[in-house]
Amino acid sequence: MLKLQQKTTQTMLALHGWGAVIFGLLLYWVILTGTIAVFADDINDWASPLPAAITETFPLGTDAMLRKAAADVAPEYLDELIVFATAGGRIRAFFHTHAEAEDGEHPEEKGVLFVFDPESGDILQRFEGTQSEIEAQSHYGKLGHFLVEWHVQLHVPSPWGLMLTGILGLSLLVACVSGFAMHRHLIKDAFLRRRRGGDVLSHKDAHVMASTWNLPFAFILAFTGSFYSLAGAFAIPAIAMVAFGGDQEKLIETVQGLPPAEDPRPAEMANIDTMLEDVRAAGHRTRFLTVDHWGRQDARISVFPWQAEGELLPKGYAFDAQTGENLGEKPALGQSPSLGSDLVALMGPLHFGNFAGWLSKTVWFALGFAGAYVCISGLTLWVKRREQQKTWQYLLRATLWSAWGLPLALVAAAAAYLLQQAGVLAGAVEPLMFKAFGLCLALSGILAGIVRRVTGVRRILVISLGLGLCALVALRLLLGGPGWVSAATGGLTAVVVLDVALLLGGAWLLRREWRKTLALPEEPLIDTGDMEVNTP
Amino acid sequence: MAGTRTEKIWRFVLAGPLVLLATLIIMAGSSLWLPEGQAQVNNFVIPVVLLPAIWAVLFFYSVLDRLGRASVVIFILTAVHAALIAQHLLQAQQ
Repeated sequence: MLKLQQKTTQTMLALHGWGAVIFGLLLYWVILTGTIAVFADDINDWASPLPAAITETFPLGTDAMLRKAAADVAPEYLDELIVFATAGGRIRAFFHTHAEAEDGEHPEEKGVLFVFDPESGDILQRFEGTQSEIEAQSHYGKLGHFLVEWHVQLHVPSPWGLMLTGILGLSLLVACVSGFAMHRHLIKDAFLRRRRGGDVLSHKDAHVMASTWNLPFAFILAFTGSFYSLAGAFAIPAIAMVAFGGDQEKLIETVQGLPPAEDPRPAEMANIDTMLEDVRAAGHRTRFLTVDHWGRQDARISVFPWQAEGELLPKGYAFDAQTGENLGEKPALGQSPSLGSDLVALMGPLHFGNFAGWLSKTVWFALGFAGAYVCISGLTLWVKRREQQKTWQYLLRATLWSAWGLPLALVAAAAAYLLQQAGVLAGAVEPLMFKAFGLCLALSGILAGIVRRVTGVRRILVISLGLGLCALVALRLLLGGPGWVSAATGGLTAVVVLDVALLLGGAWLLRREWRKTLALPEEPLIDTGDMEVNTP
Repeated sequence: MAGTRTEKIWRFVLAGPLVLLATLIIMAGSSLWLPEGQAQVNNFVIPVVLLPAIWAVLFFYSVLDRLGRASVVIFILTAVHAALIAQHLLQAQQ
């Protein structure tokens, strides 16, 4: 139990409450999209699966695919290559160089993107141009990317979007610390749940109980999330300016090591399959690989695997591009192990929950979901305490709109992705997803504003979301996606699991609203907040 | 956070934009006195990693302590680091 002076407690309460009122809704957007984005790769596999699951992410034959592609690009694009897996296990290889963007103010990657079928080695897609031109045309992986961009920077251009999410992360940090300081009985609060109808006390118990259990996790996410956003937005540029006097080359040399002396003489590349096998033999599954100066004497190859079982920190391997010799592990930063490098490497698994496969991701998803619930229940509690003040009812309506309208809009975006993939909708996939998302969000916003009773707003949005989740599965099947039998026999785990999750989620929401409709209201249905706070 | 209207406004400015600016300056300045370590990265990586912690400490201090003392302490910390940065950049130019 924390004993604070009354004045300190009042300050903490003010910070907690007003912080939530100012940042709560946007924080909910960031937390909810981040929670779903934990499964971004699996969502991409679900939306665009191959006919059967792949046996290896980078199978034998990857070397041949890359050689075939390298022979098909302009020599300047052999400057850099990054290869990673995308939707369904397809292999994405981007041969590129750094050119000056059209505005002449910043460098932009320019090159050729290949998408390969990992089993046959066939080139499925080939796009050439600047990175933004290529991204506008490419399709695979865009659904997960759409979610991730909401989470990372709310689709606001850099660095403003990163600054915004960084400030939201800091506001979550304040909510965690002030919430912890205000807890008079931490252990008791974790179990106390007084059910007394729809009164403020039972709403408060629900909010406090969920937030108490979620506190350590929310703190970790707030810390790591604000680190990622603020580091990218201004911390790294600022520290590069001070510590290295603005000398970017010196910064890169310190972090990545001195590049080998320029030697453009042609040289035969060692077999990349052998390197990937070497990584596999060490118990790792390759996540992505990079090649600098393909086909030259000064070529460099690095392979970055997922963490092996029991490992928390990710690592990388360096290989001699001519002999294929394993040159050993690469620290995340610098040329030898260091505390700073380990701390940076630790941020990833702590934020993404990707260190133990489906198990850790499921735990991160559940805790993230609890965090989203805490945002909504906190805002609703705030309004509940001010029930007689009409002005605050607008916040309640906005809260309901966000709580249910955002997931509904995400379902609409996913539907647009599936329709574009099947050729029903014409045009680039990202603008289509934005249109569907925006239209759905606008409609639910209008609904939240015009429906007379707050209860009615919630019911319509919840039923729409329940139906939308079920309809998404039906749409996937109708548009020619693999059926459940073929998905199960083909080992397409993501398809089966996400279909079941969507159907269960939709059915649960519909059942919940059905039961609420049947039950007698616990209090008169008035225009002001009769929303069930404990089940937002 | 009781006080006159002027005090409230100053507290808001201090805890909001000024603490954010102080965090940036202290973080960047720390890279000049923290040890580099064998890999020569600790001095500039650790302040970036600890950025949220630096901000949180300054923020809560700015809202919980007496306004005058909090302002002076944060100003001194910021000024010392700003001076370190200025000295370093001037030396680099020469």
